Amino acid sequence: MFEYGIMPPAMFLGMIIFMLYGFPVAFSLSAVGLFFGLLGIATGHFEFAFLQALPLRIFGIVSNDLLLAIPFFTFMGAVLERCGLAEDLLEGTGKLFGAIPGGLAYAVILVGAILGAITGTVAASVITMGVISLPIMLKYGYNPRLATGVIAASGTITQVIPPSLVLIVLADQLGRSVGDMYLGAIGPSILQVVIFLLFILALSIFRPKDVPPLPLEARGEMNAALVIKVLWGMIPSIVLIFLVLGTIFMGLATPTEAGALGVVGAMVLAALHRRLTWDLIRQGMHSTMTITSMVVFILVGATCFSLVFQGMDGGLWIEYLLSHVPGGAVGFLIFVNIFVFFLAFFLDFFEIAFIVLPMLAPVAHSLGIDLIWFGVLLCVNMQTSFMHPPFGFALFYLRSIAPKSVKTRDIYLGAIPWLGMQLILVAIIIFWPESVIYWLDKTPEVDLNTIKIEVPGFGSGSGNQMPNFGLPPMDGAPAQPGQPSQPAMPNFGEPPKINP
Amino acid sequence: APAIAQSNPKITWRLTSSFPKSLDTIYGGAEDIAKHVAAATDGNFTIQPFAAAEIVPGMQAADAVSNSTVEMCHTCSYYFVGKDPTFAIGTAIPFGLNARLSNAWFYQGNGNTLLNEFYAKHNIYGLPAGNTGAQMGGWFRKEINTVDDFKGVKMRIAGIAGRVLEKLGAVPQQIAGGDIYPALEKGTIDAAEWVGPYDDNKLGFAKVAKYYYYPAFWEGGPTIHAFINLEKWNSLPKAYQAALTDACAFANTNMMAKYDSKNPMAIKQIVSQGTTLRPFSQDILEACYNASLEVYKDISSKNADFKKIYEDQVSFKKEGYLWMQLSEYTFDTFMMIQQRNGKL
Amino acid sequence: MAALLKLSGLIDRLSEIIGKFSGYLVLFCTLISAGNAIIRYLFNYSSNGWLEIQWYLFGFIVLMGASYTLKLNEHVRVDLVYGAVSEKTRLWIDVLGLVFFLIPGCIYLAWLAWPFFTISYVQNEISSNAGGLIRWPVKLVIVAGFVLLALQGLSELVKRIAGLMGILQVDTTYEKPLQ
Ligand code: NA
Ligand code: NA
Repeated sequence: MFEYGIMPPAMFLGMIIFMLYGFPVAFSLSAVGLFFGLLGIATGHFEFAFLQALPLRIFGIVSNDLLLAIPFFTFMGAVLERCGLAEDLLEGTGKLFGAIPGGLAYAVILVGAILGAITGTVAASVITMGVISLPIMLKYGYNPRLATGVIAASGTITQVIPPSLVLIVLADQLGRSVGDMYLGAIGPSILQVVIFLLFILALSIFRPKDVPPLPLEARGEMNAALVIKVLWGMIPSIVLIFLVLGTIFMGLATPTEAGALGVVGAMVLAALHRRLTWDLIRQGMHSTMTITSMVVFILVGATCFSLVFQGMDGGLWIEYLLSHVPGGAVGFLIFVNIFVFFLAFFLDFFEIAFIVLPMLAPVAHSLGIDLIWFGVLLCVNMQTSFMHPPFGFALFYLRSIAPKSVKTRDIYLGAIPWLGMQLILVAIIIFWPESVIYWLDKTPEVDLNTIKIEVPGFGSGSGNQMPNFGLPPMDGAPAQPGQPSQPAMPNFGEPPKINP
Repeated sequence: APAIAQSNPKITWRLTSSFPKSLDTIYGGAEDIAKHVAAATDGNFTIQPFAAAEIVPGMQAADAVSNSTVEMCHTCSYYFVGKDPTFAIGTAIPFGLNARLSNAWFYQGNGNTLLNEFYAKHNIYGLPAGNTGAQMGGWFRKEINTVDDFKGVKMRIAGIAGRVLEKLGAVPQQIAGGDIYPALEKGTIDAAEWVGPYDDNKLGFAKVAKYYYYPAFWEGGPTIHAFINLEKWNSLPKAYQAALTDACAFANTNMMAKYDSKNPMAIKQIVSQGTTLRPFSQDILEACYNASLEVYKDISSKNADFKKIYEDQVSFKKEGYLWMQLSEYTFDTFMMIQQRNGKL
Repeated sequence: MAALLKLSGLIDRLSEIIGKFSGYLVLFCTLISAGNAIIRYLFNYSSNGWLEIQWYLFGFIVLMGASYTLKLNEHVRVDLVYGAVSEKTRLWIDVLGLVFFLIPGCIYLAWLAWPFFTISYVQNEISSNAGGLIRWPVKLVIVAGFVLLALQGLSELVKRIAGLMGILQVDTTYEKPLQ
């Protein structure tokens, strides 16, 4: 524990205390960093000049173009939230499933997944679904704990389903490609949705009173007209999924830029719904500005903390602790997941990704753990940071829109089974890596001794090259001085011959 | 004895690398430096290496050394061309020197002396501390057969090389690091260059682009540098200066050795995934060469430091490439024939 | 106190103007990004300048928008304690936080960032990418952002103290910002 002195653990303790104090997290983090920075100078860990790294680090945050995804996805969420698209989706799907017990809950889960494939931020999903379906669920007798739980959890899966801000940030931190992260996340996304659906199924069997079907007058007669209406309502979402993912697939935009195109797409949809007003755009960009500034300022605060933490040999300390976890790779993974799960009580996913992940990644790498799999695993684990009381963002969004009759206590308690299901998925991924790896492109094992490469020649033909120095013929006859060795030379454009 | 104590003081430095640990070969250079310095000084002079972003972001390493945030860094001089194009010559400029001649110019020519006169203006002392050898020209989604084929090619390529290709009509797009792979996969960009087979293979570019071109004429033998804060360097005891100089020279040789031993297997792995190897044609290289000369003329007319050091390197290059024809080239060519004929 | 409150009002106004301006930059930045992608796709034309301007704007939004975000009380807090205590205690938490955490931190960071900016300005530093932009403006934004944030901190401090003295009604209700 104290192999690297008392300072690194003290900094963690200090961080928790400073944050609990209740002043904005960004400034509490920078304060705890600077406070320990002064201590570090006093104890000779480093000199005053060491803290000059701070503006360089802040510049590094600002110039990290991947972070542009934050304003883009937030802006898209803000427009979506107000344009009525999710509303149509949810209403239609709710009516479609309304007749069966748990129908509304199924609808929420499926719509959560669809919204998840459009956007990368949790807020838009939770709020839209909360505003639209929570009142209906409560009105028709859903257990408030279940209603809030399913909405929060279904809104949270958006961060596992590509496109996802969390996956982008994780890929960046792990030095792996975003594309592979997205592929690796497909399996767990599907599993998570299935687990949620199965849970509702189980409830509808064992506790049907919690999830009653909708009465006829609320859902309407099930007929072809309704089905068509539902399908019609889905078209805009499909268009938007195409716009965001499609622009990446057709090579129009990078994953970051796809967020910006998604904003434009969301605005077009809003216009088609005749809800695009200057006021909507103004509100959207205004809230995007404050959210972006708020989130990135947490990084600014975190950077003050982690610089000083590095200066106190905190990196070495964490590496020491993690590499002394018994049980090899599996032991490490279990430890890390418990560790991240508990950190998520205090920290948001951004703080975890930026403060903790850089310390975990090298150890994972040295243990031979596939970093894509590791990243997806952590992403699933970090879903819980949105969900668990008392700092889960998803719960706060719900609180802000839920009627007074729903007690905060209900929201907190309602989250617990869903937290459990998220952890079940974590366990599945740990013990069944195929759930992630299956979706990745695999390079077949090849016996390299069988690979022969014939390098195309270079320097023959016209030009000012020195005649004596072309590659001589392949039969091994020595090149004649003064004679270009053209005959055996493959042309420039010709690919090398490969004999596998 | 007190005299010994004085000449072997306890000194602890931090080194910030511009490279992540995932680039093990390049990052390993910093670890080599640290290990050798500690061993040579009985552990009295210790250097603690930090990966990129642990203390400062990779691209800010020179600033951090210059203002003594850290004592030293391990970086590429050409990352800092925005401050002064002269920084480019420290690493590599298009059609510069290969690794052998680079070392000759640095250690026996005027390279190190001239560059250190320049680096001193930025409060930096530089030592060569790594080389990758000639790099690969990058991954292309389409064939580049003629000079015209470069028109409109969106390529992720940095620095002066980007300026040169821009003259041929290419579109340099320095998109975010994490976006390179998906962007290349889907054709948002048409080409991207990275390092060479060993590092490129780890990122799996073979899966997303068919053609692997060579050589990176902009990186014929790029030198990775140790930058040391000038005052910190001057305040080191002579014995420690020698230990650090030797350690950097070892890191320089060892990195090249690592690449030369890892690349041959890596290129086979890449080819086994269906990659097509292609050399840039002589026409293309000539067009790029001419474009480079224009760029150098342009920079030289505006920057005296660049002009002076560039011209020194050119005159060294002239003699060097005469000698290379008589020595390595002939020998290597003969040996390559034996390799191709399966006689090795 | 009246003079201080007047000063606080002026600072609030300044932050608000800059904050609202930053909001427009969000839209502007989005359109540039989308436009650059589309034009690059259709005409194979672009420049690193168009990529870099996006994160320049991002830097402005984040750093210059932070003070308005502070004025709106939208920087996220851990409200376990903050949400449970009395109005007056909350004012005290803020007063001490502003005096010991925010204001000195921002002044210090602005002071550290100043030479970072001036060196870049003197060197006439540009991007290392072909067609890239001049660098000092974005570094100046770091300095300006922290100065403005320190000022806004001062304004919040004045308001909180006035609140404690009973001169001003300060609304400390806090809701977690959306994300
Ligand atoms: Na998503
Ligand atoms: Na390269």
